[in-house]
Amino acid sequence: MTDDRRNKKTQNRPSGFGNPWLQLGLSVVCVLVSEFLLKRGATDIAEPDSAFSWTGINGLASPLVWWAILLIVASFVSWLYVLRYIPLTVAFPLSRVVDILVPLGCWIFLGELISALRWCGIALVIIGLALVAKPVAQIEERL
Amino acid sequence: MSFLAFFFIVLSLLSFVAAQLILKRAMEFSATNGLRNSRFVSLAAIGVALMTVSFFLTLGLLQRFDLSYLYPFQGLSVIFITLMAAVVLKEKLSARLAIGALLISAGIVLVSMS
Repeated sequence: MTDDRRNKKTQNRPSGFGNPWLQLGLSVVCVLVSEFLLKRGATDIAEPDSAFSWTGINGLASPLVWWAILLIVASFVSWLYVLRYIPLTVAFPLSRVVDILVPLGCWIFLGELISALRWCGIALVIIGLALVAKPVAQIEERL
Repeated sequence: MSFLAFFFIVLSLLSFVAAQLILKRAMEFSATNGLRNSRFVSLAAIGVALMTVSFFLTLGLLQRFDLSYLYPFQGLSVIFITLMAAVVLKEKLSARLAIGALLISAGIVLVSMS
């Protein structure tokens, strides 16, 4: 894609609810909740002895999995919208903020302990996110 | 880890990475050509199909392994997708973005190892 077209698209970027950064946030929240639902649902109906269960289709027996699917579809729609405006090299690394929100969620809401090593990992992700996000902030400022 | 587990982990990762690249291409195409054309519909359909495959494979894996065990592999998707977006979609990949993606992946691996 040429820089001209990229700039034009950036200028046409909608604000308010249509703001792609807001949609990226919404998508992340939906994924976060769905991860918890999926793990609970998958554990509830686990049949590790059946070869068929490698396909995961037996997971559909759990209502939690259906709720998770609903959230995944919602996050997917937001994500498609994000893809329309933000390069994948920026949007995808940022979307992985969910990988530290999951353990942080376990710590805050479930009272699980976070080891020193885990805090180091969380710190690395935050530094990585900051590196990816900073050039984006500068691009936005120039507009 | 058994060979079968490794196979399904790699398969779910690959289908996820391919889906993201195809969907990005579909949405870029729709930005200039609109939603009502066969190229967009077929790209989006392939992307959704690959996402679905990856989803069910993950669900199968979650029945066998802890989420914390499977997470490092999801972490690798950051590196794969960032690299492939630069190579296949010709997106600009600055050193800063590359280092950021590496740190995020390393962090995710550390979080799930601990």
